[in-house]
Amino acid sequence: MGASKSTLLPLEEEQSICSETGFTSKQLRRLYIRFQELGKRNPTCGYLTREELLDIREVSLNPLGQRLVDVIIEDYGEANKINFKQFATVLAQFRRGKSITDLNTKEKKLLFLFSIYDRNHDSKIDRHELLGILKMMVGGNIHDEQIATIADHTIEELDSDGDLTITFEEFCKTLAKIDVDEKMSMKFLN
Amino acid sequence: MHQNKSLVILILLLGLLIHKYYCKEQTYIHNQGKPLRFHVAEFNFDHVSDVYAITLWILLGSLAKVGFHLSYRLTEKFPESCLLIMLGLIVGGLLYITHLAEQKAYVLNSDTFFLFLLPPIILEAGYFMPNRPFFDNLGTILLLAIVNTLFNTVCIGLTIYGFARTPIFGNTPFDMLSCFVFAALISAVDPVAVLATFTEIHVNDMLYIVVFGESLLNDAVSVVLYRMFDSFAKIGQENLILMDYVLGALSFFVVSLGGVLIGIIFGVVACFTTKFTEHTPVLEPLIILVYAYLAYLTSEMVSVSGILAITFCGMVMKQYVSFNISKKSDATTEYVLKMLSSIMETIIFMFMGLSTVSDHHSWNTGFVLITILSCLVFRVIGIAIFANLANCWRLLELTRIDMLIMSYGGLRGAIAFSLALILDETKIPRKKEFVTATIAVVFFTVFVQGITIGPLVKCLNVRRKQIEEPTMSAKLTNRMMDHVMTCLEEISGSGGSNSLRDKCRNLDRNYFKRWLLRETPQEKMDIKLLQTFKKINMQSAMKVHDTSKGLVPTPSSAAFPTSASATNLRPSSTFANFSQLLAANLPEQTVPDLMFFESQGPDHYRDDAQMHHFLDTNLYRAKPRAAIHLRSQDETAETNNESQNRFEKSYHHRNHIFIPSRHDKEQTHGRKTGKTGSGATRSSGSKSASSTQPFNDSQATKHSLMSAITKKQNLKVPPTFTNSHKQQQQSSKPRSRSPPLSSDQPIKSLPTTNDTHPVIPPVSIVIENEEDVKTMGGVTAAEHSFPWRRSSIPDGEQAALSIPAGDSANNAQTFSNRNDPSLHPGPLTSANFSGAYNKSPEYMGEFATTTKPEEHLSRPHIRDLFNNQLRPSDETQENSAEAAANEGVTRL
Repeated sequence: MGASKSTLLPLEEEQSICSETGFTSKQLRRLYIRFQELGKRNPTCGYLTREELLDIREVSLNPLGQRLVDVIIEDYGEANKINFKQFATVLAQFRRGKSITDLNTKEKKLLFLFSIYDRNHDSKIDRHELLGILKMMVGGNIHDEQIATIADHTIEELDSDGDLTITFEEFCKTLAKIDVDEKMSMKFLN
Repeated sequence: MHQNKSLVILILLLGLLIHKYYCKEQTYIHNQGKPLRFHVAEFNFDHVSDVYAITLWILLGSLAKVGFHLSYRLTEKFPESCLLIMLGLIVGGLLYITHLAEQKAYVLNSDTFFLFLLPPIILEAGYFMPNRPFFDNLGTILLLAIVNTLFNTVCIGLTIYGFARTPIFGNTPFDMLSCFVFAALISAVDPVAVLATFTEIHVNDMLYIVVFGESLLNDAVSVVLYRMFDSFAKIGQENLILMDYVLGALSFFVVSLGGVLIGIIFGVVACFTTKFTEHTPVLEPLIILVYAYLAYLTSEMVSVSGILAITFCGMVMKQYVSFNISKKSDATTEYVLKMLSSIMETIIFMFMGLSTVSDHHSWNTGFVLITILSCLVFRVIGIAIFANLANCWRLLELTRIDMLIMSYGGLRGAIAFSLALILDETKIPRKKEFVTATIAVVFFTVFVQGITIGPLVKCLNVRRKQIEEPTMSAKLTNRMMDHVMTCLEEISGSGGSNSLRDKCRNLDRNYFKRWLLRETPQEKMDIKLLQTFKKINMQSAMKVHDTSKGLVPTPSSAAFPTSASATNLRPSSTFANFSQLLAANLPEQTVPDLMFFESQGPDHYRDDAQMHHFLDTNLYRAKPRAAIHLRSQDETAETNNESQNRFEKSYHHRNHIFIPSRHDKEQTHGRKTGKTGSGATRSSGSKSASSTQPFNDSQATKHSLMSAITKKQNLKVPPTFTNSHKQQQQSSKPRSRSPPLSSDQPIKSLPTTNDTHPVIPPVSIVIENEEDVKTMGGVTAAEHSFPWRRSSIPDGEQAALSIPAGDSANNAQTFSNRNDPSLHPGPLTSANFSGAYNKSPEYMGEFATTTKPEEHLSRPHIRDLFNNQLRPSDETQENSAEAAANEGVTRL
């Protein structure tokens, strides 16, 4: 679609994405511009790759950046790429607004958080996965034992059925007090 | 009831003060006439009068506060500020009647207020400012603080001026500028009043911070407006030129930004100073306070906003100082701040009431009514306009209810009053009316709104502040959400608050932390997460402390491979965490908290030491026992030397100060333990009833572990035990008089272990054990290898237990030993000690050195409980015959 100069999405696609994600067409256009900006390496195809996402300086510096990009690419994209529609779907989960679609519910957000932990998709966070996240987040050269202690403690806190893994229900229950909806939302520019 | 009593006492106290005053004057005059003689004693009130009065005020304030809080019903209905004002009114009335009101010390003097009373409150507010909500809502806060205050001032000023032209004020002339001066001082929401009210109603953080932040930051605006109109009034309305207005507007930026800048500079300098206070930790709190105060004074000196300065100074300091200073200093700082601000707040409200009673009033009904009404109306209008405006960019929109509470929470207070007091009557002729109206507004807001806001919040169902314990998972996920949102904002290219915060955090870590902290934080290390973990550890340790008796068996069960605790053994929610924490770490480390700090820098060694000390002083029962327990394990497998050394080492610096207070707790807990202990013995007895064969140490360990586990299960059904225990308790007393074997032993040993309070539960255990235990030697022996499993069990019973297993000659010996007054009063049989003690002389030596006889004498009784188990190791060394007997018993 006019690869050299395409700054605009096809109208019908735009509309379908809008209705699906709840973005206004203005927001979506802005997002599309951003999407193309990110895809500098390969401007012609409508895809973003892992590397392109990691090119963003802040993302690569962020302790969870790598993992997040993994989640986005693997869970929402296909074949290590993500197209604009999928991209918009990811972001739509964090859209804050009056209109609630089935994308930006609290549960979706919790699931997204959960999927950051749960990389083997067995809908359980086991000790190993938690350790991985903790290492990324705590950073520094902290002794493995300490990290293990923290991980064990965390699991014990959340784990209510004693199987030493955290299921999604257990995960949600302990986060009931945190205003996930509020924290996991952002304003998209118009 | 309490209320009335304390009030009477307070009045009496005051009467005493007044009496003294008169006495002084009389004696003074009296002395004049007499020839000068040497006085044996002199009454010299003048010498101390001012300070004396101040001190008495502070005392009165504190006593009043104490008194109010004795009555739950009173403080539930009325906010403290109302009660204090009322008290002030009463005292003021008394002073007025006695014509002492002219005395300077009794009137709220605006210098006193601004120089002494206000700064601690604001500093405390800044120091404990919840940073995250503050900065998240900064836009809204600024909008409200600046624009809304301006809006209010203008509207109120115009309204009053407008009504001044009608006959509603009784034809008293009000000129325009003085109206605006008054509007400037009356429109600002007062941080002291807001703080006092909002801390009691516990609304959610966001609402609180919006109102409180507004009240703090509007100081700049109100100060500027007040000064501007005040000086305009002095210049005279007709002499004003445009330039004055421009300069006035300009001065707003100078005052606000200047205040913030001064605050930040002093805060940074204070942090920098604490970098070097390693060797003088005593001064650390002082340094913090002095720098903050200096920030306030400096900004007052250069007439910028002192409130802003000290707020930001506190906020900056809080960020860095706590990493530098010692934990004690940190706690001290926080406590001193809380204390100062609390007493200052009390005094301010009292003075408010006090100053009301004076002759400097001029009541003008129309004016007062119009003022109150316009304050209310424009507050609501202003909030409605600007909150809706703020909603345009806010992520979490303010609801109608939020807005209502925000406008209702717009309390006026002492700042307005003090500003009214320092008006110059020659330039502003209506000063008296202004003061009266200010007081009326303050009283209206504090009383009417302050009292009703609590019920209002309740009935409107405003989201309350959630008081939650910090959990590691919550913190972790919170952190994670921040990171994720930052990333997503970057990816989506819409730079939101998250990415802004991330940038600030990077800046903070890369520059400020590096310059201001003693230790440069490690690259990319998340200190906060670690801190949370430490805090949680600390809290679990506290819980262990509080439920120490209940927990005692858990370490042993946790020493079991994790599978034991991984199954459904969750005795109670209180220490589930800790036991599981232990489970995760054992058998290598009995107290994982300590291991956690090991591999960090020197600072963490200090933490380590403090943690030691803490656990030491509080867990003294559990810990040495744990060591003993480990030792008995060590006999078979030579591990754990490290942790054991720690226990032994720490045993030396045990703090005895804590023990008296522990005594009562121990007493109360004793009951519980009696229950659980008896349950454990019984169930373990039933399980291992058949195991009567001779046993070795490792077997004993197993037994006790089993019993510990069974005990855990038993905890799930406490009521039955409670009941049975009650019955036992009732029956235990008479029955303990006639135990089958050694009738006088329990009675004799009781006074030795607890002189003052004879403990009943242990006696009940005696019965239990006698019933259960006689049949099975195995269980009792298992218990003996775990002496801590039983509380202060009278030793005659233990002797009785040892009889089936051992030989009676031993018992005779130990009994005679106990009856010998020269020997240790804590009578113990050899059976109290497993073979582990006897096999390790160096271990005994360790304890032999620690428990010196005189040390023991000075100890409170509760120590004896523990000594009972330590002592005889002493004795066994002295008494070789008994030592031999020990071996005989334990080895069988």
